[in-house]
Amino acid sequence: MKRSALVTLLLTLSVGTVYAENVSAPIHIGIGVAQTGNVALLGQEEVDGAKLAEKYLNANGGINGTPFKLIFQDTGGDEAGAINSFQNLINRDKVVGIVGPTLSQQAFSADPIANRAKVPVIGPSNTAKGVPQIGEYVGRVSAPVAIVAPNALKQAMKEHPGIKKVAVLYAQNDAFNTSESGTFQESVKKMGLQIVTLQKFQTTDTDFTSQVTAVLGANVDLTIVSGLAADGGNLVKQLRQLGYKGPIIGGNGLNTAKVFPVCGKYCDGIIIAQAYSPSTKNPVNEAMAAEYRTKYKSEPPQFTAQAFTAVQVFVEALRKVEAVTKKKITQLDLAKVREELNKQIRIGTYVTPLGKISLDQDGEIHQENFYVAKIKMEADGKSGKFVFVK
Amino acid sequence: MTDFLQNNGFLLVTMVQQALLAMSLYYPLMCGQLSLASPGFYALGGYVAAIIGTIEYFAPWRDSLGWVIFPLEWLAAGIISGFLAVLVGIPALRLRGIYLALATIAFVEILRVVCLNLEITGGAIGIFGVPQLFESRWSYIWTFGPLLMLMLFFSYRLDRSRVGRAFKAIREDELAADAMGINPTRYKVLAFVIGAVLAGVVGAMSAPFLNTWNARQGTFDASIAYLAYVLIGGSRSMWGPLLGGMMLSALPEILRPLKDSRLIINGFVLVFASIYMPKGIAGAVGNLKNFTTRILGIGRSEK
Amino acid sequence: MTTAQFLQNLLNGISIGSVYAIFALGYTLVFSILGIINFAHGAIFTLGAYFTYTLAVGEFGINGLLSGLTLDLQIPFALSLLIGSVLAGMVGVLLERLAFKPLRTRGADSLLALVSSLGVALVIVNAIQYLVGAEIYTFPSQVYGDIKPAMMFEVAGQSVVVRTVQVIIFAVCMVILTLLGYVISFTRIGKALQAVAENQTTASLLGISVDKIILVTFFMSGFLGGLAGTLVGTSFGIAGPYFGVTYGLKGLAVIVLGGLGSVPGAVLGGIVIGLAEAFVPPDYSAYKEAVAFAFLFIVLLVRPQGLLGRSMIQKV
Repeated sequence: MKRSALVTLLLTLSVGTVYAENVSAPIHIGIGVAQTGNVALLGQEEVDGAKLAEKYLNANGGINGTPFKLIFQDTGGDEAGAINSFQNLINRDKVVGIVGPTLSQQAFSADPIANRAKVPVIGPSNTAKGVPQIGEYVGRVSAPVAIVAPNALKQAMKEHPGIKKVAVLYAQNDAFNTSESGTFQESVKKMGLQIVTLQKFQTTDTDFTSQVTAVLGANVDLTIVSGLAADGGNLVKQLRQLGYKGPIIGGNGLNTAKVFPVCGKYCDGIIIAQAYSPSTKNPVNEAMAAEYRTKYKSEPPQFTAQAFTAVQVFVEALRKVEAVTKKKITQLDLAKVREELNKQIRIGTYVTPLGKISLDQDGEIHQENFYVAKIKMEADGKSGKFVFVK
Repeated sequence: MTDFLQNNGFLLVTMVQQALLAMSLYYPLMCGQLSLASPGFYALGGYVAAIIGTIEYFAPWRDSLGWVIFPLEWLAAGIISGFLAVLVGIPALRLRGIYLALATIAFVEILRVVCLNLEITGGAIGIFGVPQLFESRWSYIWTFGPLLMLMLFFSYRLDRSRVGRAFKAIREDELAADAMGINPTRYKVLAFVIGAVLAGVVGAMSAPFLNTWNARQGTFDASIAYLAYVLIGGSRSMWGPLLGGMMLSALPEILRPLKDSRLIINGFVLVFASIYMPKGIAGAVGNLKNFTTRILGIGRSEK
Repeated sequence: MTTAQFLQNLLNGISIGSVYAIFALGYTLVFSILGIINFAHGAIFTLGAYFTYTLAVGEFGINGLLSGLTLDLQIPFALSLLIGSVLAGMVGVLLERLAFKPLRTRGADSLLALVSSLGVALVIVNAIQYLVGAEIYTFPSQVYGDIKPAMMFEVAGQSVVVRTVQVIIFAVCMVILTLLGYVISFTRIGKALQAVAENQTTASLLGISVDKIILVTFFMSGFLGGLAGTLVGTSFGIAGPYFGVTYGLKGLAVIVLGGLGSVPGAVLGGIVIGLAEAFVPPDYSAYKEAVAFAFLFIVLLVRPQGLLGRSMIQKV
């Protein structure tokens, strides 16, 4: 009894009166990813993707003629930074929706804030279990690892039917790689193979000689690596340099051209399960990939494509909001737009750089195509490409 | 006003939270001990609250106790942190100066790796969906705010108590204090435990505040940040850590409009603050007060 | 454990350890003179690698102010390494003048130097990111000429392997150690350095310019840091602006273990921690990260002056 009175008092103090306000033109969409700190390596790729989407989609009419503008608020690498970024986007920049944050751990911290404020969020790279379940306003365009990973294993088995003994290595301080490796381990066991050595490392590690010699000593037929570009690439390089000859499966963290300079010619032959292929055939991806290639002279990475996709989903859903309400977004109340936008995001399909996708009522992505690629390095050991085998 | 709180509520509460963490370094410093163990106890406290708040075993407790579970979480975090502090403190506090600082950094790092590997702490992903005490972030001022008031009152009393005088005697000259019948080890462990309990309780309050908890909360980086709070704020009075924690934690957010270069400027501010305010912000304010007292006859000097 | 496995672990330990050691050399040098920890050392280490990269390769990526820029300076690697390290040494001098000297002249709490050097580190790391982005830069594989990537030995029918670049780093580490040892023990400047480390007031009474010695120390520390950064960069690539900072914490453990301020101690400490990590059984690899710190904690309790440090009578 006492408590409810207290809570009511606190709520009136803190929430205050909510008054109606219209959406500004151009329409603001928030990008809250890591632009500084030690995850900026990933966040930068997302910024690139979002910017490409802004340019491409505005050139294609924006939201039925109304342009939109991306508002960037850096999250840094930590949880508090993510909350600050989201608060700024929601209250100060009055965005209709947010693309972000970069890490799953940050999503668990900041997404509830957006959810309570009833602002739709689309995660460009949050793959941990439980992210879409944070709330009804939370969705993602990054497919959970459980779906992506096993494909690579099947491919390796197809190429090397004799595989029996497997080494699994993963970055234990990283949420994505830990859960991805869990999936790999399950799939390995399901296929009747044996994990003879399980090695853990940190994403900040650079020397892997201990892990590599353990793998060499165990005489394995296949090695599965879940790490990010710098650590995973170094691990692969050291595996090869120290004489490992068998096939290597790389996790999704290695699905970026950034790994090429790290392991150089030793990258050759890594089998990688991917949620994105730069050669996906549809007009949106072709336009995005072409633009990326001219601007940055390399193939677009997966995080870039996913951030592009997240922005695209917002824009297309905004168009649908106008169709449903029969009004321009700028004539509508912000709270109303956010609510309706969230509904529309979860209806229908989108043809994106990731191929055909849809978001279910939970906000979970359903993606039509996953890919398995093999890295093919040029003779100079500097540049390479992903050759898609599936 | 409400708009302002909506926009900045999280930041304001974070400032209070960081000020409390800075104060947790202040108690050991009162007797001259540079301990950087606070992030470890902060992480531990957060885990205690997050675990009690989420796992199946405590579900009947949560259901029957309602909001009372939250103060119990704080209590549990405080007790567990205090207990661990005694275990770590007794051997570690034989060390002094930079050696103690390094031993406590080692403690934080060991704890981080252990938390990364246990099942109950959720590994790298951590624990999410921590139950909430309040709806809005700003409302968390009702947990951190009273704690800050309590700690300020406590510090004020401590400063003037027999224990507080013993702390200061040890800081000034440990041998002399020992000769006067003050048992340095006992008082040093006591100061260390006070800091640890405070950090643990702040951690327990922070798990719902941040919605989630993971091993990234207690790191070397945090140790260094808290140290900067105390040194930039001033380590000679309780106002130092308070001001340092509040200002330095707000700085990156205040600099947000600078976008890409905000952390560069943040770095410069740290350099200039340490050079131009060698006694910390509190010291600089104190000088100003002396100045006004002496020259203008305003205010009343304490000593 | 077979002989081959033992030897392999030994080599692995020395291989990781020499990276820790080479990082820690410049770190411990500043401590020996000023008795403070220079938190910016990791940042200067990083910066040295970026300097050399700019001179030797000079191709920048897709983010930051200099994105897309290609400086084709064609400077040979050895020369770039030298210039890059000298530049890093000069940043060290700048650091001393900007962040340390004002505090010293003021007689401020020596702990404040931790904060001001932390500030400098923050500036350097974020300035790097501002200029060239957070991406990974790597040196071409043939910087050391046409060497085999790994060396292999046969021991009792089992093979033992080591990466050649790690052997180079270990060798450089030993050369630096010898040179430093010679400079410190047998040259005028080295003796002056020792005198300043012992007691600044007495040293200045003996006519030694303390200020100059401090500058020389910072230059050497920065030079060694930059050199180490580049060498480690050739082994693992430059993994973004935080690349060196991540060694900072492990580096602390190394210099304390070896004895704060002791140059041979830094090398010994690095190798001991490397060995301790390498001998962690594979099943416990998850706890490898904690080994260095468990070691540090125990050593501090048992022998706070470290393995090669002198015991000091301390007054807080």
